[in-house]
Amino acid sequence: MKESLQVKVREQLGSRQSRRLRASGLVPAILYGHGEKSISLTIPDSQVKHAVQHGARLVDLSGDVTETALIRQVQWDAFGLEVLHLDLSRVSADETVEVVLPIHLKGTAAGTREGGVIEHVKHEVRILCPVVSLPEHLDMNINALHLNQEMTLGQLTLPAGAKLLADADEIVVHCVKVKSEADLAAAGAGGAEPEVIVKKKAEAAAEA
Amino acid sequence: MALMPKRVKHRKSQRGRIKGNATRGNRVVFGDFGLQAMQGGWIRAQTIEAGRIAAQQYIRGEGRLYVRMFPHKSITARPLETRMGKGKGEPAAWVAVVKPGAVLYELGGVTEEQAKLCMARLAHKMPIRVRFVRRRPA
Repeated sequence: MKESLQVKVREQLGSRQSRRLRASGLVPAILYGHGEKSISLTIPDSQVKHAVQHGARLVDLSGDVTETALIRQVQWDAFGLEVLHLDLSRVSADETVEVVLPIHLKGTAAGTREGGVIEHVKHEVRILCPVVSLPEHLDMNINALHLNQEMTLGQLTLPAGAKLLADADEIVVHCVKVKSEADLAAAGAGGAEPEVIVKKKAEAAAEA
Repeated sequence: MALMPKRVKHRKSQRGRIKGNATRGNRVVFGDFGLQAMQGGWIRAQTIEAGRIAAQQYIRGEGRLYVRMFPHKSITARPLETRMGKGKGEPAAWVAVVKPGAVLYELGGVTEEQAKLCMARLAHKMPIRVRFVRRRPA
């Protein structure tokens, strides 16, 4: 689904001005692409959060700039609470874009009834996809996943005209046996004190 | 058994200071949910282990727990009732240096309700303020 963002052209540039904008509830952004001049923008914080939290890729810009854009990058603060900056790139409907999409698992794996645990190894995938068929996420059905089996990127159902930009043999999810408490304790067991790395005298003399 | 490095270059380290927020390791990477530090501090190996056990006992083999911190730093202590001087004390504990924003534990393969309950149990073991976090949108 396309989200719409009300944008204003930003005249004041620089980190100090950006900080002031953020304090007043606006998010600094930049729009670039198609060989045209890049434009610095501001977008209301609430609209940005809504678009980002809903996993929107394509956004309709209105206000000072009327265009369709792709969210290229989102910069977060250290706690992941606030969006600091947004990178938008111009796109047209007939274009193909490179995007990173999240992979969502659907269903319940048969392996969980066989004493296994689902391990979601790969959460995101890079694909080349036409703008018109760009989804918010990719789904993978894991109903047929048994114990000690895995599903790979090649088993993903891609949108029409999309191409995978990663190794198709890469594991997305697998069902493995649960590690017992004893195994975990054994893995963590060590000596009373770590070994100290010391250069031996002969080695030091050889180096000199 | 509490965590500690296998090999070290020096047995003892200086205390150092925790400055700024975590710029790496501040997002959920392996699981779906996480426990994020809101304060900086030292977390002892025993505390990390206590947290792991509290969470592991709750999830009981349903999901997968990831521990995202490791105690790389040794802390020395002087024996009780000893006079000052005679050099730095002997290593007494190992700690993980945590900056605000760092993700300490992650959990995958469970529902959000289960993850929240599990992380709440785990949070009680932590000596610093923490919060429950979800995976950030890609």
